[in-house]
Amino acid sequence: MLNLGLDVVTTAAILFIVSAGLLMVFGVMKIINFSHGAFLTIGGYATVIVAHAGLNWWWGVPCALAIGFVSGMAVERFIVRPLYARPLDAILATWGLGIIVGQIITLIFGRGVQMVASPVDGAISLLGTQYSAYRLILVGVALLIALALGWLLNGTRLGLQTRAVIMNEALARGLGISSSRVRFMTFCTGAALASAAGCLITPLASVDPNMGVPWIVGAFMLVLVSGSSLVSLAVASVVLGGAQVLVSTFINPVLGGLTIAVLAALLLRIRPEGFARG
Amino acid sequence: MKRMSSLLSTGRSCGVTAALLASLAMANHAAFAADPIQIGVPVGLSGANSVVAPSVVQAAQLAVDEINAKGGILGRPVSLEVADDGSGAAGAQKAFDSLIFEKKVNALISMETSAARNAGLPIVTRGRVPFIYTSFYEGRSCNRYMYVDAWVPDQQVAPIVDYFMKQDKAKTFFLIGSDYAFGRGMLDFTKSYIEKHGGKVVGNEYLPMDGSDWTSIISKLQAAKPDAVITSTAGGAPNVTLTKQLRAAGVKIPYGNLAVDEGTAKSMGADAQGIYISGSYVTNIDTPANHAFLAAMQKRFGADLKTPNDLSVPEYEAIYLYKAAVEKAGTTDTAKVIPALAQVSFAGPRGTIQMDRERHTPLTMYLGQVQADGSVKVIESFKNVDPGEQCPALK
Repeated sequence: MLNLGLDVVTTAAILFIVSAGLLMVFGVMKIINFSHGAFLTIGGYATVIVAHAGLNWWWGVPCALAIGFVSGMAVERFIVRPLYARPLDAILATWGLGIIVGQIITLIFGRGVQMVASPVDGAISLLGTQYSAYRLILVGVALLIALALGWLLNGTRLGLQTRAVIMNEALARGLGISSSRVRFMTFCTGAALASAAGCLITPLASVDPNMGVPWIVGAFMLVLVSGSSLVSLAVASVVLGGAQVLVSTFINPVLGGLTIAVLAALLLRIRPEGFARG
Repeated sequence: MKRMSSLLSTGRSCGVTAALLASLAMANHAAFAADPIQIGVPVGLSGANSVVAPSVVQAAQLAVDEINAKGGILGRPVSLEVADDGSGAAGAQKAFDSLIFEKKVNALISMETSAARNAGLPIVTRGRVPFIYTSFYEGRSCNRYMYVDAWVPDQQVAPIVDYFMKQDKAKTFFLIGSDYAFGRGMLDFTKSYIEKHGGKVVGNEYLPMDGSDWTSIISKLQAAKPDAVITSTAGGAPNVTLTKQLRAAGVKIPYGNLAVDEGTAKSMGADAQGIYISGSYVTNIDTPANHAFLAAMQKRFGADLKTPNDLSVPEYEAIYLYKAAVEKAGTTDTAKVIPALAQVSFAGPRGTIQMDRERHTPLTMYLGQVQADGSVKVIESFKNVDPGEQCPALK
């Protein structure tokens, strides 16, 4: 029972970490960033580079953040910016970008699975049960990311401007807020977060050119039901991630893999604003 | 020959030698001007098999080079026709069609996914060409034109289960797999084998092939407290994610992996340490034939060498088996080559191979354990493990 609870909490934490970057981009820019999976993959390979350089695994996190941010800058400037007025084309463009990134990584690193050592080993005792130490660490990491993003949005000038753009872009521009700068910063932050997430999941996932793909669908569904709010994303991660764990445990793991997508679709049918406050 | 002897009798000194060499070269050239024997290799250069396929092509190239250097088959040179089957059914249909009906190959010899093999077999039947399948697979695929020189579950599972039962006194087993023909086929067989030998399967769970979150399955495993775990996932990513998550969850019971090969084990690093694997080939096999094979591969491909493995070595041996069968039959005629394939044998890196058990092959199986550096240490070998009843209807 305790194990089940921990499974729910840690699964929610992982989903939150993987989806946070996508939420930033979708919330502000109303653009579905299909290259999210590619940024996850970039983060995974940033960890591989760090490992090859002989550095400690934890260096992978800042390294992935930096690489993600810089590649986000290039992608925003040359691919996403010209397509702000054409969200459907942006989906195609970012989807194509995902394929290109995957192929470039294949050219450099090959198709095979890359080796990355884990930062911590095995399980620890917690409340009388043994549980994966790394998954517990991820719960802390998810909280940190939530706090940092909360501060960024609510405690800084950029955050204030971002919220203004989210609420009413035309009005925000009328007030002299440079919405293109806000969009630029948001996309780069989203890319950096995705890349960091890619690094953070390496101890649990395989690092290969397609490593981002299995995460995309779940992340999209969570973001679609969360709108642009971090709090609703957290709620959605716990509810839908929890449902996935319960279905996998008590019914069948094959169905468990479908749970998030099916529940999110149902939820949007019944309540179009999802977990966001109407 | 007549011309050579006349030269020998009339010529003198080095002029003779030069003429002799020239005539030899011509004789050689004449032989190789004969129609080449074409061997078709439909293989997954793209898709799921793309990581392992290059090693299979290399093994085939070495076999063909060696055979040609020694005069070919029945005096005819051998050539390879490699076609990409995309690791799946649709690609395989195209590849088989083009190899059999356009290139008109004399035989097909290759490692493929089960989906690709099943899609190709009807085309093989229509085209009536011998087909040697060189990939281990879930067993009981039967076709008049097909032989298999790799292992089936009956051969692979027994060493691991027997070892766990004997060495670790394991009574209860937990089975985890990917949800597809090979994953389910392997674990169904494993389950019945365990139960037949007095063990108990306390859990049997699957995740879709592209699934990466094994959380709830691992929790079930821990709740069931089995003595050992045996997994059969799709190769590559699912295998790696499952192993990493098992290790992260602190699972320390004996762990047998039916889908890992040496290359994947290496890429998993420390997480793979201690995993038990079972197969008919590991690079550490200590026989002169294997050392010679590895040295020849190294010499032929140098820095580009893909590590030979349990999928590439059977390809190498199968080409020699085909050579022996054609030489025994005295022709490439399918009707004569098919029965001959069961009668010939070849001593290769895996030992002496003869495909004489209902189109399948008794094999020496190796139980290995992955070491800290990613190499596989052979713990025990099982001589000539029988493939069991595979195709009783085929004679």
